[in-house]
Amino acid sequence: MLTSPAAAPAGRREGAEAVAHRARRRTLALATALIALLLVVLASLALGVRDINPAEVWRALTAPVAGFVDHDVVLDQRLPRTIVGLAAGVALGTAGTLIQGVTRNPIADPGLLGLNSGASLAVVCAVWLFGITSPIGYVWFAFLGAAGAAAIVFSVGRGQPVRLALVGAAVTALITPLITLVLLQDQQAFNLYRFWSVGSLTGRGLDTVAWLWPFIVVGVVLAAVLSHRLNMLALGEDVATALGQRVGTTRTLSAIAIVLLAGTATSLAGPIALVGLVVPHAARRLIGTDYRWVMGIAALLGPVMLLAADVLGRLVLPQSELEAGVVAALLGAPVLIAVARSRNVVGA
Amino acid sequence: MTTDAVETAVARLRAARRRRHVLVVAGMILIVLVAGTGALLVGAAGLTPGQAIAGAVGLGDKGDVFIIQKLRLPRIEAAVVVGGAFGLAGALFQSTLRNPLASPDILGISSGASLGAVTGLLALGLSGVVLSAMAFAGAGLVAIAIWLLAWRKGLHSIRFVLVGVGFAYLCSSLVAWSMARAEENEAAGVLIWTVGSVSDIRGDQLALVAAGTLVLSAAVTVVSRTQGPLSLGDDNARSLGVRVDAARIGTLLLAVALVALATSAAGPIAFVALVAPAIARRLVNDGGAALAASAATGAALTLVADVVGQHALLGVAAPVGIVTGLVGAPYLLWLLATTEKRSR
Repeated sequence: MLTSPAAAPAGRREGAEAVAHRARRRTLALATALIALLLVVLASLALGVRDINPAEVWRALTAPVAGFVDHDVVLDQRLPRTIVGLAAGVALGTAGTLIQGVTRNPIADPGLLGLNSGASLAVVCAVWLFGITSPIGYVWFAFLGAAGAAAIVFSVGRGQPVRLALVGAAVTALITPLITLVLLQDQQAFNLYRFWSVGSLTGRGLDTVAWLWPFIVVGVVLAAVLSHRLNMLALGEDVATALGQRVGTTRTLSAIAIVLLAGTATSLAGPIALVGLVVPHAARRLIGTDYRWVMGIAALLGPVMLLAADVLGRLVLPQSELEAGVVAALLGAPVLIAVARSRNVVGA
Repeated sequence: MTTDAVETAVARLRAARRRRHVLVVAGMILIVLVAGTGALLVGAAGLTPGQAIAGAVGLGDKGDVFIIQKLRLPRIEAAVVVGGAFGLAGALFQSTLRNPLASPDILGISSGASLGAVTGLLALGLSGVVLSAMAFAGAGLVAIAIWLLAWRKGLHSIRFVLVGVGFAYLCSSLVAWSMARAEENEAAGVLIWTVGSVSDIRGDQLALVAAGTLVLSAAVTVVSRTQGPLSLGDDNARSLGVRVDAARIGTLLLAVALVALATSAAGPIAFVALVAPAIARRLVNDGGAALAASAATGAALTLVADVVGQHALLGVAAPVGIVTGLVGAPYLLWLLATTEKRSR
């Protein structure tokens, strides 16, 4: 490393400024994320086939008039999907950041690593073998499937971060024919799956969220606790170990949190791809590399992206709607390609 | 040693290699014949060899003739032609990119074909050759887009694969959306198309694919003269007078055309293009691309997988792509696990 003697005192002088600058940047990022979240929540409640002005939305939430169509639309249709979007978005944003941190791999999210397909297979099997069709019933299967896929991916893909995405693709390729095999057996499972696999915020009632939110809370709390360890891990496994961290414990706890978050999100909204990939990148752009902050901002930006995708899907095709999962993939794929093209990912 | 002695030694070595290559191809053809015979005789209506032969030449019981000529024979022919095309294309990809991972399955080409076909099936109500054309166009467009985006002073295989994964997400989310919007029975057709199946290929489609595969294979034999020098590395190939970039792009275009053609008729039958060349190379074991052996292995693999899928899986008639996926994905995982160890 090159440090000229003259640079040292100058660097110290700039230290205080840098701290102030960082604090400003954090406040700004937090404010940006919160305002964005507020705006998309409002948009999600107000926009659609029937546009409702914000004042009316507010009245619907605070003093609803029974039988007034605008209020019914807000409360019965848009509020549930907004809340599902908030819950699934928080889970996906946090899970994505956690996966990217613990694998030290910028190209990772629950979909790319095959966790979503593992959860899908388990859910399809639950429908086929046990006739379970409610999210509350199959959430356990989703956890189990995501955990199984995670176990394969992490054990095969260990060591070389970028390979992980390839291993995830291979696991997905292994699971997809199994899913198809079940779907060919069972018409009911097929009909459920083809609406579910698109990734939609509708069709899940508030009762599902009411039942599943504790899993998200546990996952988010774990992620928050782990974020400091991820900072050390980012310096390399050896450095983290030298700093007194049990890397194995970090990995295990992260895997638990990831499976909880990804499994819950998949149960709520279906296998939604690329939100978990894009959101941490956006958060890092806003706030830098400190995982304690990246995690928090990503938890706010997750629902921003998911709800924005949902609203866009309503506006682009008002008659038949593009589901949130489709729009998220359409928005996320270019980001994935851009990240793949960037020099520092593949080192060539 | 005298020059003569060296020459005879080299000639003997070459002859031995050629013999081995021929032997592998012959072995694969034998497998095709055995599996094909099995596929002709076994099924919902069991036939004796005599009935089958009579049916094949158009004599004997009318029902038998229909079963052989309209149901079983076309399906066998389709598996062989499509499998051969996938195997050959995979060998070209892998030798040109010098990467055992390179296959259309993880290069995003299949997803483009699926999107093209599903659009044709559902939005435009197409079938047969026109539908194949849609799939061909989808595969070609996505392949070209992936290459343009992944090319940066050459092809880096991981970047290539990741850009392909991006396109796969793009296409598969749209396919899933179309499937959710479709009628129930149409959706089932789409599902089977997206895994790859040789059961519903019509006569005109088959003729088109067979003719196209023959033409492309002929072109491959012309291009394949550059494969040997290319496998020695770009600089050595250049010093042997090969125009490296032109040869590489030409070969890859042929490979994409083969895959797109096969996919357009049968759907993206998973991993044949990945696995067949790997088996063939190991059997031939001369350090070369083993093009003919890869094609023969692809044909044998696809046919055997189709027979297994028809008769041996969970009591449903599974499309061939399910069987090849279940075989190929673990191989890919194994490949990833072991190449990682080697490179450390």
